[in-house]
Amino acid sequence: MRFVKQLEQRSRIVFITTALLIVAIIGFVDYLTGFETSFSVFYLLAIGLAAWFVGRGSAIFVSILSVAVSLGGDLARGAHFSSPLVPAWNAIILIAFYLVVVWLLAILRSLQRELEARVQQRTVALQEEITERERLERELLEISEREQRRIGQDLHDSLCQHLTGTTLAVQVLEEKLAARNLPEAADANQVVELVEEGINLSRKLAKGLYPVDMEADGLMLALEEYATTSSELFKVSCRFECDLPVLIHDAATAGHLYRIAQEAVGNAIKHGKAENILIRLDASEEGTTLSIKDDGAGLPEPLPKDRGMGLRIMAHRSGMIGGKFNARRDETGGTLVTCELCAEPNSEKLRRG
Amino acid sequence: MDKPKVKIFLVDDHPLVREWLTNLIHQQPDLVVCGESEDAPHALQEISVTKPDVAIVDISLKRGSGIELIKNLKALHPGVAVIVLSMHDERLYAERALRAGARGYIMKRETAKKVIAAIRQVLDGKVYMSENLAAIFAEKFVDGRLLTSGSLVERLSDRELETFQLLGKGYETRQVAEMMNVSMKTVQAHCAHIKEKLKLTNAAELLREAVRWQENNPTN
Repeated sequence: MRFVKQLEQRSRIVFITTALLIVAIIGFVDYLTGFETSFSVFYLLAIGLAAWFVGRGSAIFVSILSVAVSLGGDLARGAHFSSPLVPAWNAIILIAFYLVVVWLLAILRSLQRELEARVQQRTVALQEEITERERLERELLEISEREQRRIGQDLHDSLCQHLTGTTLAVQVLEEKLAARNLPEAADANQVVELVEEGINLSRKLAKGLYPVDMEADGLMLALEEYATTSSELFKVSCRFECDLPVLIHDAATAGHLYRIAQEAVGNAIKHGKAENILIRLDASEEGTTLSIKDDGAGLPEPLPKDRGMGLRIMAHRSGMIGGKFNARRDETGGTLVTCELCAEPNSEKLRRG
Repeated sequence: MDKPKVKIFLVDDHPLVREWLTNLIHQQPDLVVCGESEDAPHALQEISVTKPDVAIVDISLKRGSGIELIKNLKALHPGVAVIVLSMHDERLYAERALRAGARGYIMKRETAKKVIAAIRQVLDGKVYMSENLAAIFAEKFVDGRLLTSGSLVERLSDRELETFQLLGKGYETRQVAEMMNVSMKTVQAHCAHIKEKLKLTNAAELLREAVRWQENNPTN
């Protein structure tokens, strides 16, 4: 089918020439073999070619030509008929047969064209749909990221500060009570402690929502802290290794890399039941690579739907920051997740100092 | 006649914190708040006018950074003792703030009880920090990690020192390799040696140390 498709791309002149050539060759062979053997079926090759690739008109022309060539050849070899009506009758029968074939082929051809056009339409629509869905997914991710960051920042900047003001206010109250030798001073003191615990809690919340500090070395610090907390929280060994300082100047990039690491470590613990996890941040001439390797069960085949989503989101994040994402079963059986970022080709920053 | 009250200036971008900090300070008979500001440029201006004894400064401000403000205060008004009062974790910022010239560091989550104590301690000419922070510094001191800016750096080879300096100037590893005309692998080896010699545990710490050393030795 693909071969026919490729042929269809060619110019009509090529086909009409080929068809005429075929008629000539078959006519010649027909002539050589004498008038007793019929070659009429072979002319269909040329007729079919013309009907499919060129058009109905030229197919009819080739049909008539074929009949003429065949008849001419037979007559030239000395074929004689009892009546001149016989060859005429034969020719008409043959032409009618050819025309039926041409007609059938033409219908088939137009049906096929219609189908092709419809498939193309559907493909375009589908492609648009896919693009749209990808855009939506990306937007969803951006929105959730932005909202998380906003809530995190609000928690950190507004709520924590507000609570700080509150502890100060209660402290003032405590001192006033203490000055009048009232035992309630102790209660006020307790309130201060409670509010301070509140500050701590909301700080931790903010940290979860907005983990990476804005500064360029923020990702290294954040991943280190994350590895430590994960080790404590999940009773696993989660280490962060980084041989060379890796600076990520774009806060969004740092944020996505952090979330990829977070998701990968979460998967390793939750699904892979891993006990040792290694997060690495590597710099090389080619760029920056984040990798998360674990000794867990590895990725199952096929992936359950809920896990596919997590991987898709990681891949999405990676795509958003122009990274190359890969998640696969490691040689040792665990899972290896990598996100490679290409180095910026320019060295402008080099000259800034 | 009464002893003149100790003047305190507040720099914090949150009004509620300023308000109650003022109330708290005013409850002390010998302390008075002489002015407040929510950003660095205004604070610097006001401090020249009000001439406080102590300034309580937040690291993140509406405009300008608290760390820069501390450096400026140290240069322009060395008589003003600065106490940092910040939401930021002391493990990340205290060392930087103290090296910039602050005399104390308080995290906001423990403000209420500590702030008056900190003011008094700083007025006595001492440095104020939490017990946790003091323990961290002590540990670093015992490990020899606090000496970095001096003797330890001298142990670095020339190429290692060059790497260390370039990192401190804010160049990325790739750029350092380019500038030194060596491969990343070589830079990596240098970094490994630097970490070993300076007793640093990881790359983030190496970078922080390099930046700090560069700040203190800008002529290099």
